[in-house]
Amino acid sequence: MTDNGKIEITFHGRGGQTAITASQLLAQLAYEESFKDAIAIPIIGAERRGAPIQAFTKLSRNKTIKTYDSVLDPDYMLIFDRSLLDIPRVLETIKSGVTLLINTKNPIDTCEFPENIKIFIVDATGICIKLGFMHSSGPILNIPMLGAFGQLTGFYNLDTMKKVIYSEYGEAKGKKNLEVAIEAYNSVKEVEFE
Amino acid sequence: MVEAQEDFTQERETKIIKGNVAAAYAAKSARVQVISAYPITPQTTVVEKLSEFADNGEMPGTQYIKVESEHSVMASIIGASTAGTRTFTATSGQGLFYMYEMVHWAAGARLPIVTTIASRGPAPPWNIWADFTDIISCRDTGWMISFASSHQEIYDDILMSYKISEDHEILLPKFVAYGGFTLSHTSKPVTIEDQDAVDDFLPPLPDERGWPHIFLDPERPMMHGNLIMPSGFYNEFRLKIHYTHTIAKQKIKEVTTEFERKFGRSYGNGLIEEYKMEDAEVAILNYGELAMQMEEAVDDLRNEGYKVGCVKLRYFRPFPVEDIIQIANKVKVLGVADRATAFGSPTGGPVSSEVKAALYGSGASTKILPIVMGLGGREVSLEQQKNQLKVLNQLNETGELPKDMIEGTFWDGLLEVD
Repeated sequence: MTDNGKIEITFHGRGGQTAITASQLLAQLAYEESFKDAIAIPIIGAERRGAPIQAFTKLSRNKTIKTYDSVLDPDYMLIFDRSLLDIPRVLETIKSGVTLLINTKNPIDTCEFPENIKIFIVDATGICIKLGFMHSSGPILNIPMLGAFGQLTGFYNLDTMKKVIYSEYGEAKGKKNLEVAIEAYNSVKEVEFE
Repeated sequence: MVEAQEDFTQERETKIIKGNVAAAYAAKSARVQVISAYPITPQTTVVEKLSEFADNGEMPGTQYIKVESEHSVMASIIGASTAGTRTFTATSGQGLFYMYEMVHWAAGARLPIVTTIASRGPAPPWNIWADFTDIISCRDTGWMISFASSHQEIYDDILMSYKISEDHEILLPKFVAYGGFTLSHTSKPVTIEDQDAVDDFLPPLPDERGWPHIFLDPERPMMHGNLIMPSGFYNEFRLKIHYTHTIAKQKIKEVTTEFERKFGRSYGNGLIEEYKMEDAEVAILNYGELAMQMEEAVDDLRNEGYKVGCVKLRYFRPFPVEDIIQIANKVKVLGVADRATAFGSPTGGPVSSEVKAALYGSGASTKILPIVMGLGGREVSLEQQKNQLKVLNQLNETGELPKDMIEGTFWDGLLEVD
């Protein structure tokens, strides 16, 4: 956890789930919302579809970001695939004070997590299937995950999402993106701890 | 296919882009006339983005040549530059090694070619991540070599490179190197400057008469690449390249000052950039992105009461000997951190060897601690860099060396193996 208006986010997905693109779009969204600086850091290896992948975004409200290293103590974690929570290096970073956003349609058993964390869930896969927001090998999860993330953090609103999405993908493709973002924005839920 | 626009257009804007994309935008802003390309990780997205610009009609008149190898990339760029055009390409690691024969040729022919290097570790074992051993291997080619430590600096330094290289007193090719993935594939805000402002900053594109010393013109026949006997001018040609490197330092300083005046971004004196060195007792010199990250480490340790500073080395060739002597005299211990190897060297990595050579006979009594780290992209974290500063501080206060000293060099961040 960091101070100085610095916010660090980790993305955990599987190859093809568009988590790396999400880390870049988040940097754009925050920068558009007058954060002073942002950096998106993908961890690149020889990933294939389905292999676990990781990316980081660092945001700062008032300082230039000078570091390029990994985020080991995130403020937020975006889990694109629930099965990744079985991986030790992912679990290790779930510490007191962190907020998780998990893509799942099933309830979460809070006993599996440490106390003093927050968990939000959104059925990003379900939204993509329902609205036909798919690429050749599956749902495009970056937009619904970012829609949900915007609602739970308040870092950016739907107007900013529209602006960034339209400038990135054009209006024709952007409309569907925005529809998916709105659906996720409105359906993200906080999980109550027992 | 989009209809080609009539001219290069660009309004000043800040975009969140990858380091590689910043390099491509710089080539576009510089109105390069010929690009020759062959893909290699982690450089590939530089030439991909440029091919997109060319295909979209955003670089009207620019020739984009696809060839079958890096050797042919530099060969074709040499041809294009000889004909009197502003040229650009990018490569990495093994691609640079394959290009190497032509790299020497470009400098020997005094062609102002600018090439970016997304540096990666040499194979084997195969490695695609940040390691400057690739560009360091071009030390004696005659090219000027600079390092960028941020996304914005990639864009800015490419623009400055054309102004330095094409100066009629210089006319030498130049590499701009930055770490593979650490800068090439991370995304940050980069300001792309207004086309008119860049046009105003850079020298005009060469006209049909080409460069002053070398051209392809049937009206003015000239012999190229001829054999020269040992009694001929070979030694004197080499001396001229050497001499040009010595005067390039002043040119680099002038261009950096002019860039700052025009665009408002400063890069020290052009050759080095000092950070909190005024009252520092120990300091560390880095190049590339870790030089930027080190500034944060210095800030953190200063908050804990340590009198530390850091220096960013911007140029490896020409090497800023005078500045190195000056900064060494400011501190008691100077760490020199290399993300590159100089196998068997008794004086540390390639840059620390240069630093030691620069200080020899200068009268400086500064203790130099060579550090080798982060090879093949092994992560060098902020915490690790803070620890390096503490190691230097301890060396200064107690004379105690770190435990991972191997033949006079601190190999930092090694795995715990037997």
